[in-house]
Amino acid sequence: MEQSESEANMRSNNAISQNTVLSKLPDWLGGIINSTCGATRMKEQATVPVEQPAAAAVEAPELVAIECPATGEVESVVDEMLAQGRYALLLRPQLIKNLTHKQLSRTRTALSEGMCLVPEGQVVIRRNPAPSDDDKEAPPSEGPSLRVQAYYLDRYPVTNAQYYQFVASGGYEQLAIWDPEIWPALLDFVDATGHPGPRYWREGRFPRSDDNHPVIGVSWYEALAYSRWTGKRLPTDAEWVKAGSWPVSIQGHPLLLRRYPWGEAMDRGRANLWGSGPGRTVSVYEFPGGVSVGGVHGLIGNVWEWTADAFLPDAAEASGVSLQAKMKSIRGGAFDTYLDCQATCHFACADVALARKHNIGFRCAISLCDLAVKRDVSAEPSQEDEEQTETSFAENQT
Amino acid sequence: MNRGVALELDSMRLAHYGNQIPCLICDEGNTPDAESCRNCYAPMILAHQAHSRNTAPVMFAALGPSGVGKTVYLGVLLDMLSRQPKHLQLSARGGFSVTLQHSTLAALARCEFPSKTPNEPDRWNWVHCQLRSPKHRQPVEMVLPDMAGEALFEEVDHPRSYRVIHALLGRCDGVMILIDGTKLQSGSIDEDYFTMKLLSHLTEMGSDPKASWATRPVALIFSKADQCESCFDDPAAYAQRHAPGLSRICQQRFHRHRFFAAGVAGACATRPVRGAGQQMVPLRVEPRGIIEPFEWLVDNLRA
Repeated sequence: MEQSESEANMRSNNAISQNTVLSKLPDWLGGIINSTCGATRMKEQATVPVEQPAAAAVEAPELVAIECPATGEVESVVDEMLAQGRYALLLRPQLIKNLTHKQLSRTRTALSEGMCLVPEGQVVIRRNPAPSDDDKEAPPSEGPSLRVQAYYLDRYPVTNAQYYQFVASGGYEQLAIWDPEIWPALLDFVDATGHPGPRYWREGRFPRSDDNHPVIGVSWYEALAYSRWTGKRLPTDAEWVKAGSWPVSIQGHPLLLRRYPWGEAMDRGRANLWGSGPGRTVSVYEFPGGVSVGGVHGLIGNVWEWTADAFLPDAAEASGVSLQAKMKSIRGGAFDTYLDCQATCHFACADVALARKHNIGFRCAISLCDLAVKRDVSAEPSQEDEEQTETSFAENQT
Repeated sequence: MNRGVALELDSMRLAHYGNQIPCLICDEGNTPDAESCRNCYAPMILAHQAHSRNTAPVMFAALGPSGVGKTVYLGVLLDMLSRQPKHLQLSARGGFSVTLQHSTLAALARCEFPSKTPNEPDRWNWVHCQLRSPKHRQPVEMVLPDMAGEALFEEVDHPRSYRVIHALLGRCDGVMILIDGTKLQSGSIDEDYFTMKLLSHLTEMGSDPKASWATRPVALIFSKADQCESCFDDPAAYAQRHAPGLSRICQQRFHRHRFFAAGVAGACATRPVRGAGQQMVPLRVEPRGIIEPFEWLVDNLRA
């Protein structure tokens, strides 16, 4: 009852009219989101020290019954979803069987263009900054080695144009994709003119010419809701660090980790940081030299990125630091990050989960186990698709 | 022979001692080898360096109560202006002038705020630097002291108890008054009163109306604005909302004043300190609104 009242209030406050086709999607989405295998399990695995056995083989996701619309409507919905960048949803085991070969091909192309695969392996997520001049003898302390399962990470941070799709389709009204604990605060997630959207937008729109800039002024909860809407999730700390530091494990040697995605030394020409950029966000396509080994752009600089994890409570407790409110981890530094040692792959920082700052954005991830790596050919709806021999999608991508 | 030479040197030294060097801050004569002024305890190196250039340096002061962030503000400002390749640049004159920015940034890199500035003037960090700006053809000599907040308010409450502060405020070409934005937001009225006392003190200084503080530029800076972001939207409106007394006194008595907002730490946590309650811990360094007040002061320098 309370929920329906909140929903009614939200609708009355939203100035954006919903797309009629997309308004049907939350019914589908609820089941799919709830069946996510990677979002929760990845976090558990990431925090398990390597000494413990890694989680068992990926379980097949629980299939949910979905009432699919008529064929023509499916096509229009699929096209709409692809245009909105929600390809990850279409590659879920529950939906992939509804796609024609052409649609599947387009969806997979969208995935490979938008995300890159980070292979499974170990990573160290906590490494102290380089010792100061007074403390040269002290060795850099490293945290436990963690194992991360293979996953996909967005090549670029989420842009204003991408986030606009979420806002325009009524994302702020779809309670299914928001944590219930945040429902009371949803009415506060408005732009400068009171419309639902990021803090620095006006009239539900982002500033002209900033379409390829990373979206900023979004809280951790908004980032999480967007990621769910696209069928993805936020990366964990371990996943984020692994994508940037790209560890190499050689038997008998400590894990080799990069300090920056491009190597060990700071190169301000490769990242939008204080003194190297215009003092504000830039397009996510700028600073191409900052790309990681795996093809992820803009991990360092431009905007801090929300991750799924709380701010390393173990490290904070160890140094006696207490956090004033629920703080979530952010990584990578931003356009105004001043110190080189705070713009590394390993520097851990945080902000209040409800903060909507001018320099915090995000990018999304999805576990490999959440995607349908192989389509069941017996379920193919058309002759054209039956002729296709599906190969392992993951193998191709790898 | 040796005795004669020694006598000659002594006489040279005596003659040298007779030529006293005035302190840059209070104008009191000091011997050439004095480390700090015998009257106000300001470092005499400032006078020696200014003497060599034969120009009176511009002086700005950062004022505010203890813990408001004067040291962090000045240290980060100096570091930014000495690193940025843009139109406003500072070059330190002498190694001692780098100490403030070095100690501040080193502390911030360790995720700590710098320790409290001691009350003794000879232990303050003084900065002597050259400013290059598009507005000035020649580099401008500049002196910036990092004063202790407690000493400042001792002087405000008991004028001439700190001669260096009295002399400095008389000589300053402009001031940056820092006000804790977070305390104002939390409803504390102390910040409003502290700043009103300070401004009243300035208005009562000096008898020459041409040199009064009514015509000198005063930048009022809400510090720690990263923790109360509404400061950044409209600092003047923020002042009216949270410090009405301060806002009124500025409008009535200071013809050239402007409100600003500045922050250095993007986010903070707290750490318990034995006997000192909770200590703030800066989680990252992302200066915002630091250069603008200084730039405005430079633009408003008297010709």
